[in-house]
Amino acid sequence: MDRRIPLTIVLVLGILMILQFFIPSRASETFFTDIFVRWGLLLYIFALIPSVGSLIRHHWRKVGARREGWAYSIVTLIGLFVMILVGFLDREHVLAKVKAAGLFRTLFLNVQVPMQASMFGILAFYMASASYRAFRARTLEATLLLVAAFIVMFGVIPFGAYVWDKIPFISEWLLEVPNMAAKRGIRFGVGLGIAATSLKIILGIERSWMGGGGK
Amino acid sequence: MIWLLKLFKIDRRILFLLIAAAVIIPLVRPLGLPTAVTPHAQHLFDAVDRIPPRTKPVLLSMDYGPNVMPELQPMSMAVVRHCLARKIPIIVMTLDPNGVGLAEDALHRAALEYPDVKEGVDYALAGFKVGGYLVMISIGQDFQTTFPTDAAGHPSKEVPILTNIKNYDDIALVITIAGSAIVENWIVFAVTRYHATLCAGITAVSSADYYPFLQTGQLTGLLAGMKGGAEYEQLLANNDLSHAPKRASQGMDAISSAHILIIIFIILGNIGYFLGRRKKA
Repeated sequence: MDRRIPLTIVLVLGILMILQFFIPSRASETFFTDIFVRWGLLLYIFALIPSVGSLIRHHWRKVGARREGWAYSIVTLIGLFVMILVGFLDREHVLAKVKAAGLFRTLFLNVQVPMQASMFGILAFYMASASYRAFRARTLEATLLLVAAFIVMFGVIPFGAYVWDKIPFISEWLLEVPNMAAKRGIRFGVGLGIAATSLKIILGIERSWMGGGGK
Repeated sequence: MIWLLKLFKIDRRILFLLIAAAVIIPLVRPLGLPTAVTPHAQHLFDAVDRIPPRTKPVLLSMDYGPNVMPELQPMSMAVVRHCLARKIPIIVMTLDPNGVGLAEDALHRAALEYPDVKEGVDYALAGFKVGGYLVMISIGQDFQTTFPTDAAGHPSKEVPILTNIKNYDDIALVITIAGSAIVENWIVFAVTRYHATLCAGITAVSSADYYPFLQTGQLTGLLAGMKGGAEYEQLLANNDLSHAPKRASQGMDAISSAHILIIIFIILGNIGYFLGRRKKA
């Protein structure tokens, strides 16, 4: 019985949202703004509460049970609360009274930015190692991929033009013709898939989104 | 033969050291390799450059966090510099909570280079809004409701650059610089629904995904990866619009040497693979 309520809401709102897209009127626009944008934004904001709560609960339990890597959980929790507190005090100009205005920005630019950028930078090392070990011309398809990758890699760096001045043009052609043809085909397929799945959800055929394995 | 095969089984730690050297040395001692400008970068530059000074603003959405900042921040800096140099009003916003600090930093640094520009008149930081594509739709409905204040808390009605913005019709150009697929949301909602003119700056790894949108005209211009930033810096220098250090161009030297090294690794790996196969046969 209680499953019928969310299914009915999805059916009614799904059909109304499709209809409103094809009705160019002020009433249709107002409906869209009120239902979709305002409610959607509210849902986004409220989603922050369980997500932050889940993060705190997960790490709190890990520290309590002294599970592997619990020390990192302490760092996560301290980081979370310090940034919330400093951000709030900075915004309310409380830190300015103790000559620490802009502390939030300083912490962000000097702690968070280098940490996140370094984590991403490590990718270069793994990519180099993986390409050395795994990028092999085992088959015709793999060889074609390898040659195309070489040309694009050379094409995007200034050095490529030194080797042969046509390389940047061949690289651009690879991206604009074969790549685009493949991408367009994939996008059509994905688009049709999204439309089909959406219809299945709206009509109540696909129910896994409610949990319980779709039963 | 055995020593040759050993060359093709290099320890991972040695590979890491070689990559570190290939990245660090050009950053310390830049090679100054010139960057050729692609048509897509030129189109983005032209789209900004065509806007008459002190008319409709550019809306720059810096939708990325510090993880992709080294690749994308030079693009944002270049776009901000271009607008400030030409007195094209620029409104900066972000849909990434980590983007606020980066947007603030970009505006702050660029504004110092152009002392005659005024905050609130030539540029404004609208700040972060939660909601992703809902914010894009909301801007199309009513900008003032979406951003009732700027990031510093001043009412938008009192900030000269924001006062007359109702929706996308009052914005000359939307530029999203993003490290995620949010560019597609901008295309679907800002361009298709509200007919905004859109350009994008993206990471190199995702650049291949956006070529179909260039052909359809849904994207007017595109900057791809560090190279895109370097191209824009080159265009600014060519047009005498900025004399700031060219961070992306310096980064391109490091990327060039790292690419060459990776290509050598792949060649070595393949020679080793074929020699090993022949030995087995």
